[in-house]
Amino acid sequence: MRDLKIAFRNLTRQKRRTILLMAAIAFGIYIITMINGFTGSFIENVSENFSNMLAGHIFIEGKEKTDSGKTLSLVRNDDILMQAIKETNTDWKYLTKRSDLSAVLIFEGEDLNQSVTGADWDVEEYFKDRIVLKEGSFADLQAEPQGIILSDKAADKLNLQIGDRMLVKCQTYTGQQNVGEFVLTAILIDSSLMGGSTAYANIDYINQLLNLQPDEYMSLGIFLNDPDTIDETADALYENLKTKVNMFERSNNEEENKILSMLKQQDEQEWTGLRFQLMTLNDIMSEVQQIVNVLNTAALIILFVLFAIIMVGVTNTFRMVLMERTKEIGTMRAVGMQKGIVRKLFLYEAFFIALLGVITGLILAGITMFILMQINWGMNTAAFILMKNGYMTFKLSVPQVLLNFVIVSALTLLAAFFPSNKAAKLQPADALRTSN
Amino acid sequence: MAIVKLEDVHKTYPLGKTEVHAVKGVSFEINKGDFISIAGPSGSGKSTILNMIGCIDIPTNGKVIINETETSGLSDKQITTLRHEVLGFIFQSFNLIPVLDVYENIEFPLLLGKSKMTKAEKSEWIDMLIEEVQLESWKNHKPNELSGGQRQRVAIARALVTKPEIVLADEPTANLDSVTSDAIIRLMKKINRDLGTTFIFSTHDPTVVDVADHIIRLKDGLISENYRQENPKSFGGAE
Ligand SMILES: Nc1ncnc2c1ncn2[C@@H]1O[C@H](COP(=O)(O)OP(=O)(O)OP(=O)(O)O)[C@@H](O)[C@H]1O
Ligand SMILES: [Mg+2]
Repeated sequence: MRDLKIAFRNLTRQKRRTILLMAAIAFGIYIITMINGFTGSFIENVSENFSNMLAGHIFIEGKEKTDSGKTLSLVRNDDILMQAIKETNTDWKYLTKRSDLSAVLIFEGEDLNQSVTGADWDVEEYFKDRIVLKEGSFADLQAEPQGIILSDKAADKLNLQIGDRMLVKCQTYTGQQNVGEFVLTAILIDSSLMGGSTAYANIDYINQLLNLQPDEYMSLGIFLNDPDTIDETADALYENLKTKVNMFERSNNEEENKILSMLKQQDEQEWTGLRFQLMTLNDIMSEVQQIVNVLNTAALIILFVLFAIIMVGVTNTFRMVLMERTKEIGTMRAVGMQKGIVRKLFLYEAFFIALLGVITGLILAGITMFILMQINWGMNTAAFILMKNGYMTFKLSVPQVLLNFVIVSALTLLAAFFPSNKAAKLQPADALRTSN
Repeated sequence: MAIVKLEDVHKTYPLGKTEVHAVKGVSFEINKGDFISIAGPSGSGKSTILNMIGCIDIPTNGKVIINETETSGLSDKQITTLRHEVLGFIFQSFNLIPVLDVYENIEFPLLLGKSKMTKAEKSEWIDMLIEEVQLESWKNHKPNELSGGQRQRVAIARALVTKPEIVLADEPTANLDSVTSDAIIRLMKKINRDLGTTFIFSTHDPTVVDVADHIIRLKDGLISENYRQENPKSFGGAE
C-alpha cells in the first residue's frame, strides 16, 4: 500500500513526462485495439454476408465443358443430389436452387448492366427478411412471372416506376443472344445487405431467358440447421456423390485452398461430360480467415515495433527519473528501505503508466468504434462485405484485450527494469552524495 | 558501555587512476547516551566516518561495531534492517521525500519494517513527535512549503520515529541560519536528555561543537583530539 501510494504520487512529479509516455502507450493500444476490433467482427460479417449472398452453407454446381472449351454451370437433373442429401441424412433448413443472369436492362433510352438472381421465392422464405423493400413486395414479384426487384439506385438510374416494363438483353446458357421483358414489381433499399449490384427475379423466367428447362438450375445451396456441421456434412455429401457422379476433387491439403484447387482442375484438366463441384462457406471463409490472420499478425508486429520505440522512451525516462531521485533513493535506503522495495517502487510506477496508457487507449478506441458504428456506409462500396447491413461492427474478445495489456505491461516493466535495478543497487552513501 | 566502536578503520576512495585515502586508521568508542561532535576542517573525513557508523558505506579496512554487532559480516538486507532498527539519520540538506507531507515523511520509516506498535500507538507517537518539533499546524503540508528550519525539524522527527538508539547527523545545521541552527541543536540536546538517544553529529561550526559532551577532532583522516567536555555550553533560553 505504502509503496503503491509513493509510486502513484511519483507519477505526478513530472506530469508532462508521465502524460507523454502514457499517450505513447495509449496510442499503441488504440491502434491495436481498433485492428483487433475490426478483424474480430470481420469473420462474422463476411461469413454471414457470404452465406446470404451465396444462399447457403454448402453449394453444389454442375459443370459442363462446351465444344469451344468454355465451362458452364448447370444442374440438369438433381435427383442424384437429392438422393445424396437423403442418404447422408443432411440436416438442412432450406434447399435453394438458383440461376444467375447477366443482363442489360433498357428503359426509355437508358441502359444498365445488371446481374439478376433467379430463385424460387416460395422456398427462400428466409431471404425475404434480409431485404428491406422500399416499395412493392415479394408477393408482387411472385404474382408476376416476369417480375423483378431492383435496387433504388438502379430504378433511379433507369427512371423506373413500379409496374414499368423494361427490355432485357442477355445471352442464353449456350451463348446465343436473347431478349425479354421484366416488370418492376418492387424496389429495395440500397443500404440493405443484398442491395447494390444484385437484382432478383423468378427462377422460371430467368431459366427461360437462359434457355434452360424449368427444372434445371445453376447451383444448389444447402442451408444447414447447424452451421457448425458444415465441414462434416460437406465431407459426407462429397463421399456419397463421388460414388454416383464425377466430382472435382476437394483437396485435403490444409495448405491448399479448396476453391482455387477446384478452379485449377476445371481449367487444366482434360475432362468431358458432367462434373460436380462441391464448395462450402468454410472454403471461402478459410481465405477470409487467412486475411484476418494476416491482419492480426500485422497488428501484433505493429504492437511490437511501436512498443520497441516506446520501450526506449520508458528506459530513457526512467534513467532520467533515476538521476533526479538518486539522493531520495539514498535517503530511503539509509532510513531502512530494502533494495527490492526500491526496485518495486520504480516498477510500480512503470506499471501505473502502462495501466493508465492502456485504459486511455481502450477508452479512445471504444469512443472511435462507437462513432464509426453509427455511420451508415451504404452498400455500394466493395467494403460492404466486411460490414453488417452497411454498418461497421467491432468485436473484441476479452482474452485478446488482456493479451495486449499483458504484452504492453511486460514490455514497459522490462524497459523500466534495468534503470530500477540500477537504482536499487546504489550504495546509499554514493546515492546521498549526489548533488540534486 | 560502548554503543559504537571503530577499530583501526580505513577508507580509500578510487579517484580516477589514483586513490584518496580519506580515513587513515581511526579507532574510538562512543558511549550510549553521548551527545558527540565529530569536528574538523573540510575534507578531514567527517562525513566518511559518519557514513561508516551509519552503515551506508563500508570501510576498506578495520571494524565498525554497532551494538556489539560487527557490521562487515552482514548482508545488505541485514545491514538495512540494522539501519532501520538502530539508527536514525539527519542530513545536511534535510532529504525529505517530496511527495509525502510532514506526517507521512515522519511516518515513512515506521512503514518499512515490522513494528511492535499498533496503528493507534503509531499515530499517537507520530503526533507526539510533531508536537515535540512544533509542527502541529504543518502536519499536512508538503516539504516544499516549509522553511529550512521546519524541514530539519521534520527530519529530526523522522530520525526519531523508530526510537533508534543512535541518531547520526552530518552537518545538520550547515544549511541553516544561526538562530535556526541554535534551535535545532537545542532540540537535539533535549531529545538526547529526555530519551537517552545517542547523537553523533559532524560540524565545523565551533559554537555547535561547544554543546557536545564528547568531541572527536579529525585532521587529514586521523584523530587529532578525542576528549570529553565536562561542562558543555548550554543554550540559555531552553535550559
Ligand atoms: N566518493 C568519493 N570519491 C572520492 N573521494 C572522496 C569521496 N568522498 C570523499 N572523498 C574524499 O575523501 C576526503 C574526506 O571527505 P569527507 O567528505 O569525509 O570530508 P568532510 O570532513 O565531510 O568534509 P566537509 O566538511 O567538506 O563535508 C576528502 O578529501 C574527499 O575529497
Ligand atoms: Mg562532509
